[in-house]
Amino acid sequence: MSKPAERPLARIAASAGLLALVILWIVPTLGLLISSVRDKDALAESGWWTALSASEQTVFERTASPDQQIETADGWVIQGQLEIAATGYTITAFGGSQRTPNEGAPGSTVTLRNGTTLSIDAQGNYRFVSPDEPFTGSRGKRMFFSYEKPASFTLDNYKEVLTEGRLGQAFINTLTVTIPATVIPVLMAAFAAYAFSWMPFKGRNWLFAGVIGLLVVPLQTSLVPLLRLYSDVGNALGFEAKGYAGVWMAHTGFGLPLAIYLMRNYMKSLPKDLIECARVDGASHFHVFTKIVLPLSVPALASFTIFQFLWVWNDLLVALVFLGQAEDQIVLTAQLRALLGTRGSNWEVLTSGAFITIILPLVVFFSLQRFFVRGLVAGSVK
Amino acid sequence: MGGLQDSLSKFEAMDLSGQEIRFDGPWISGDEANLKNVLAYFEEATGAKVQYNGSNDFEQLVLVDMKAGNSPNLAAWPQPGTVGELAAQGELVALKDSVKDAVLADYSAGQSWADLGTYAGPNGDANMYGLAYNVNLKSLVWYVPENFEEAGYEIPQTMEELIALTDQIVDDGGTPWCIGMESGGATGWVGTDWIEDIMLRTQPKSVYDQWVSNEIPFNDPRGVNAIETFGFFALNDDYVDGSASSLASIFFGDSPKGLFESPAKCYMHRQASFIPAFFPEAYQGDAVGTDVDFFYFPAYEGKDLGKPVLGGGTLLTMMNESEASHVLMDYLTSPIAHEIWMAGEGFLTPHSKANLEAYSSDVLRKQGEIFLNATTFGFDASDMMPGAIGAGAFWTGMVDYTNGKSAEQVATEIQAAWDAIK
Repeated sequence: MSKPAERPLARIAASAGLLALVILWIVPTLGLLISSVRDKDALAESGWWTALSASEQTVFERTASPDQQIETADGWVIQGQLEIAATGYTITAFGGSQRTPNEGAPGSTVTLRNGTTLSIDAQGNYRFVSPDEPFTGSRGKRMFFSYEKPASFTLDNYKEVLTEGRLGQAFINTLTVTIPATVIPVLMAAFAAYAFSWMPFKGRNWLFAGVIGLLVVPLQTSLVPLLRLYSDVGNALGFEAKGYAGVWMAHTGFGLPLAIYLMRNYMKSLPKDLIECARVDGASHFHVFTKIVLPLSVPALASFTIFQFLWVWNDLLVALVFLGQAEDQIVLTAQLRALLGTRGSNWEVLTSGAFITIILPLVVFFSLQRFFVRGLVAGSVK
Repeated sequence: MGGLQDSLSKFEAMDLSGQEIRFDGPWISGDEANLKNVLAYFEEATGAKVQYNGSNDFEQLVLVDMKAGNSPNLAAWPQPGTVGELAAQGELVALKDSVKDAVLADYSAGQSWADLGTYAGPNGDANMYGLAYNVNLKSLVWYVPENFEEAGYEIPQTMEELIALTDQIVDDGGTPWCIGMESGGATGWVGTDWIEDIMLRTQPKSVYDQWVSNEIPFNDPRGVNAIETFGFFALNDDYVDGSASSLASIFFGDSPKGLFESPAKCYMHRQASFIPAFFPEAYQGDAVGTDVDFFYFPAYEGKDLGKPVLGGGTLLTMMNESEASHVLMDYLTSPIAHEIWMAGEGFLTPHSKANLEAYSSDVLRKQGEIFLNATTFGFDASDMMPGAIGAGAFWTGMVDYTNGKSAEQVATEIQAAWDAIK
């Protein structure tokens, strides 16, 4: 018997718990999202949480080249305006040496080596004076300064991934792997699950126990023997060991035990009378399966479809082993890793790449999610 | 590229159309594109087709393929240590004499490159199994010339001067070195490079070679001394950006960025020729050589050991024999196969017939010249040691060392790992 007085408290606690979980899950994703719109150099320097506020940057620009110097009463002078200031930023401090990049306040004058002086005002107008001798060299001198840099974001990482990442072909390759590798096990498991739940035959329970047992076989231990099998058969029959057919079969094999288990439990929970009536009325097993059991099992089918789809979509290991790494076979996950470069120097594109690749799984998940919980819970709770 | 047509014409006479070659390697993205340019000329000339599979996980995947009896025709190994193991297991095909002759004749210090690829086969006979292709230079110190100029520092010509400069920078209130050793599963390799470079500068090449093959135990005083010399630079909180104990947690690709900050977090960074890819964007491309430059990690003046150079590189091996694969190996010893990639990025070669003009930048050309002029060339020791050491105990030993274990203790532990695999 529920006590009405306690209910609001319990609900608040439940909501708070849920909220905490949601935040816990969202924070890393948010961090990834923010990182994906940050500039490569900024990413290397500071964490994503600092990206939302303005920060003080100390950088340098070069003066105009020495061949633009003019001779005045003070000596030789190079002057102009800092590019940063020309775009609207205010200079907060400056200096003429990397060791003391902030020694002067805007408007003041600092003395550097050889008696040269540098002054920069808040608007970035600089004046570099050499009283005794003309400036030499072909490049401008470095002027260090600080300015307040507002939070800034860029879509460059996305642009780079989309234009240079060769994700298009990889996307199609992944679909080529994923769709059959989802449909085949779902179909096979549906047939098997029906047989396990409604077709009495000798040794049925033992066979089912055997299938459940396969759930614990670690995928990693079977990679080499399986590839060896493909390679032997391939050599005998004259086809390549690595190819899409092999990857479909591998994913089917690895996915089937769980699929059969989930669906058998669901189908078993369907009302017995319904199926027996149909059988008495003369419907064949195939009829019962297609006309009654299958339509009623949509939640279980959908939930396993999501499972298998996401697993195959995100899979890297199986695809690496059973597919080649050339353009016509490389999958998205492997292509994303390849974006890093041979020595891992381009990791900024991983963030944007990750966001692009989760679009399709999100679409699949949200379009099938209403079946998800129903399908998972069904059969396990009576 | 004047000799381009000459070196290609030999292959144009061959007709290999219809033959397919599977080539697996560690090069991806930009490197992969450059390699494909190299292969395209071969395909055009001979009609053979080369299917290149590049992956960051190449070393693991190729072993899976090998165990499954599905080896590629050619494989490119970044760590020759594995090549020796595979050769002994009979998994590799000995290269034709034409490849060996080409290396002896055309590579500068050809004998050492031929030796690098020569291992004992399954029946104990030594054969050449590996062709060095795409090498990198490790004995480089990167710095910002204007920072040096501003502070009045000169480029050190000897190790003694480098040590004096290190002390002077500290006296002037700066931090001399940026060192970062974090590299995922390979954390610690930066430290091994330091030690190898020091080993080459404190001991003759013959001792280095014995140290690599463990004829001299790892905890020999000469080896321990090399570790301690690294410690002189790295284990002093005044000498490194951050603190000595944090080196193993700083990503090696992020560590050079301190050079470019204002004020600079450090003045020098010892790292291989590929590191500019990790520099901030403003310091890549044309800026390398002007805004940021490198000098040779100097040798001791007091020791008469010449100017040794440490480098690494990839060994091409044949795992699955075919006529076209042998021809491709020949092609890869020809100057054009080097010049095409030299015109791209991230490629150095000791091939003396390849035209230096082909390098895409002065910086690469300068590095290429260091290779051609090297009298003592030491190949990266950790890459040549068996995987359990070179990609295991040696790496973790470096992490332990920066975390406070003594050099003696670390060396003894690495020797114990050696003993365990003998």
